Amino acid sequence: MSDFALQVETLRPQLLRFARTQLRNEAWAEDAVSESVLAALERPGAFAGQSQLKSWLIGILKHKLVDQLRRHTREATLLVGEDGEDLDDALFLPDGHWREAPRDWGDPDAACCRSEFFDVLQACCDHLPPVQARVFMMREWLELDSGEICGQLTITPGNLWVLLHRARLRLRECLQARWFDGLAEG
Amino acid sequence: MHNTLTCRQAVRLMLEDEDHEIAPEDRVALQVHVRICFACARFVGQLNFMRRTARAWRKHCES
Repeated sequence: MSDFALQVETLRPQLLRFARTQLRNEAWAEDAVSESVLAALERPGAFAGQSQLKSWLIGILKHKLVDQLRRHTREATLLVGEDGEDLDDALFLPDGHWREAPRDWGDPDAACCRSEFFDVLQACCDHLPPVQARVFMMREWLELDSGEICGQLTITPGNLWVLLHRARLRLRECLQARWFDGLAEG
Repeated sequence: MHNTLTCRQAVRLMLEDEDHEIAPEDRVALQVHVRICFACARFVGQLNFMRRTARAWRKHCES
């Protein structure tokens, strides 16, 4: 095995972790990583060495993740209604006021960059309904814009907006329950 | 009367603004509302925090 191939292989577990977080499907994650590694090994010359090898590989992987998502999201349109519960009704009184004001998160950044916090964030994403999780990750991790996400998943901008709206409300609730309530209790 | 948003409408606009630019008159109405409503001001802070952490999390996993 060449030096280059060896370095690429060494990074495979990290790529797999990244792919799993995004796809939440072991088989798709394996496929995306294998395709990325293959693409990298086929064109070692494309890695000019000006960036870190890992960043370069993650760049390739992001494209492969989008390919996987496109391949496997025929069901997305059907699942837009997967989450029947009206989250807004749960948060607000009929007159539009908060049922309960959002709680004080204190100085949230103090905690934010600890790895336990990222574990909670990951768990909260894992608990989102699948399509909400997918669009949220496409937006936040793959940094795709709305037009790209709608195009990949063949959903309308209105669908996307509803999905992201629900995903963000759910994440906020989950962070409240799993992180901030715990901090408050000390 | 744009400066009479309910909290529910304000939150809807804030979430929409995470996704795409909202209309200038909506933004003004939102700013007025957030200035007088502590609950929604808190919600803005939480959304901003979530946006920052999503980025930090990605960096954490990429590095």
